[in-house]
Amino acid sequence: MAALLEIRDLEVDLFTRRGVLRAIDRFSLTVQHGETLGLVGESGCGKSMTSLAIMGLLPVPPAKITGGAILLEGRDLTKLSDSKMQAVRGREVGIIFQDPMSSLNPVYTVGDQLVEAIRCHFKLDRRAAAKRALDLLDRVHIPDARRRLDAYPHELSGGMNQRVVIAMAIACEPKLLIADEPTTALDVTIQAQIIELLKEIQRESRMGMVFITHDLGVIADVADRVTVMYAGKKAEEAPVDVLFDDPRHPYTRGLIGATPKPGDERRHRLVEIPGTVPGLASRPKGCAFANRCPLVFERCHVEAPALVHQAEGHAAACFLADQMEDCDVASVGA
Amino acid sequence: MTHRPPSAFLEFVVRFARNRGAVLGAVIIVLVIALALAAPWLIDKNPLRIVSRPEVWPFTNPRFPLGTDSIGRNIFAMIAYGARTTLMIGIVAALTATAIGVVIGAAAAWFGGWIDDVLTRITELFQTVPNILLIMTVVAILGQKIDNITVAIGITMWPGIARLTRAEFLTLKNREFVLACRSMGMSNIRIMAGEILPNAIPPVIVLASVIIGSSILFESAIAFLGLGDPNVASWGALIGDGRTLIRRSWYICAIPGLAIMLTVLAMNLIGDGLNDALNPKLRDR
Repeated sequence: MAALLEIRDLEVDLFTRRGVLRAIDRFSLTVQHGETLGLVGESGCGKSMTSLAIMGLLPVPPAKITGGAILLEGRDLTKLSDSKMQAVRGREVGIIFQDPMSSLNPVYTVGDQLVEAIRCHFKLDRRAAAKRALDLLDRVHIPDARRRLDAYPHELSGGMNQRVVIAMAIACEPKLLIADEPTTALDVTIQAQIIELLKEIQRESRMGMVFITHDLGVIADVADRVTVMYAGKKAEEAPVDVLFDDPRHPYTRGLIGATPKPGDERRHRLVEIPGTVPGLASRPKGCAFANRCPLVFERCHVEAPALVHQAEGHAAACFLADQMEDCDVASVGA
Repeated sequence: MTHRPPSAFLEFVVRFARNRGAVLGAVIIVLVIALALAAPWLIDKNPLRIVSRPEVWPFTNPRFPLGTDSIGRNIFAMIAYGARTTLMIGIVAALTATAIGVVIGAAAAWFGGWIDDVLTRITELFQTVPNILLIMTVVAILGQKIDNITVAIGITMWPGIARLTRAEFLTLKNREFVLACRSMGMSNIRIMAGEILPNAIPPVIVLASVIIGSSILFESAIAFLGLGDPNVASWGALIGDGRTLIRRSWYICAIPGLAIMLTVLAMNLIGDGLNDALNPKLRDR
């Protein structure tokens, strides 16, 4: 059976006045039915661009898919017409954005918006849709759901609103749910609740999920497999346990080193990765991470490393990937 | 538990009522509407009929409380029936202008690119032509009938609405909830009409209320110039007819003039109040 989602060598270019800039460069990923893929990287590395590309919602112009394929159960979404894509959005792929407050329309009640979301794809009369909206609010554990249907977004808390947004995203039972930093705008305590909710929904409905975040702690909690993205390219890919036990890309090591862990906050300082992701206009010829990498050598500046297969489902794009086995994670980047 | 705030409508009324001028304007408009509605019961004959000798001064004959005009028509009857014309023209012209302006402004902002360029140039073109000339031209082409005059005013007044709508849509279309709606599979039309428009409409309503006032002024001006519908009582036409007698019987011009002034003033006051009640940028200052 075809994978639920397979992105193959996706290339997204930005056509700007300063020339054509490559935002996503031969990026691939796969999500199986019922699987959660974590997509990790810093701001500006192309995570959200990837999710918009899947939804067919890239801002055109300036962005344009110039190569590769996005296969949803074998069907190439990049080749679909606008109206066909409209039938895919919400029905087959749902998405949750970062800020729940701005994802909801301020002039409508939560119930009206849910009903609209349901009626985008299901031919239900208002009454049946309202009943389903109520069920959905129950499903995302909103207490006193019947009364909340008549509430406006500004009357609810951020956590409640994110639950509503999740309810809207799953209203038409998509097979794939993209969660684009769904907890970044929320309080820490609420974050944990929302993550639990997403895990629960995903388990019950056997949806595939792409969970986008820059927070490795969250990834360890939700993901089955992880893809680390850097400057529009895949840096490393591995099952979640393998990634944390045996990271092979210096960037992954840096990210792990920069994530606080319980128990050792006194002994180690958090290790930061120096510098920032190179801007689109100044992407180097060689490895994009070279200017920040503690292990950089000459070859890195002239040649971009290819993905090197490490073990079952584990690959890293680094010349030194094979030699990293026993390297102390925290020492890298120090 | 969140306490439920008062309903949106009640909140709107409270905000509106906080503006004293707006309440005064609303009272005047309600009186004008009442006069317009009651006209057939107050005067059951054609208001344009000659009923008496000309130039009967106001308050001298109880049958003609506001006197008679230069050819002996009952001024009160013409004011009452003129209120119907005036309000109808103001409202229908403003609705026409709003409909045209919203569609053009929304399309320009939503589609962008060359569509935006073309629509914006057309809007500017309409703005550069003096309004009164454009109205006169359209009326001259279509004929001196009340519906033609209304249409002419409507198609002259839309550029302001179009520009405002375009500006509102431009900021709203980049809001995340629009992206969220698209990600749920909503069509363009549905997002524009169902999701963005309700957010964009408050300032448009404010402007439309002011346009009602301007439309009334334009109708009066057209009627004053003698391009009005000769078969319909109109405040502007009454002034036009009375202007030759302005030295001797100035009330013929003054009474409809006062009526126009009060009505337009009232519309502007209401617009002010609507602005307070609807414009979120000025809220809670």
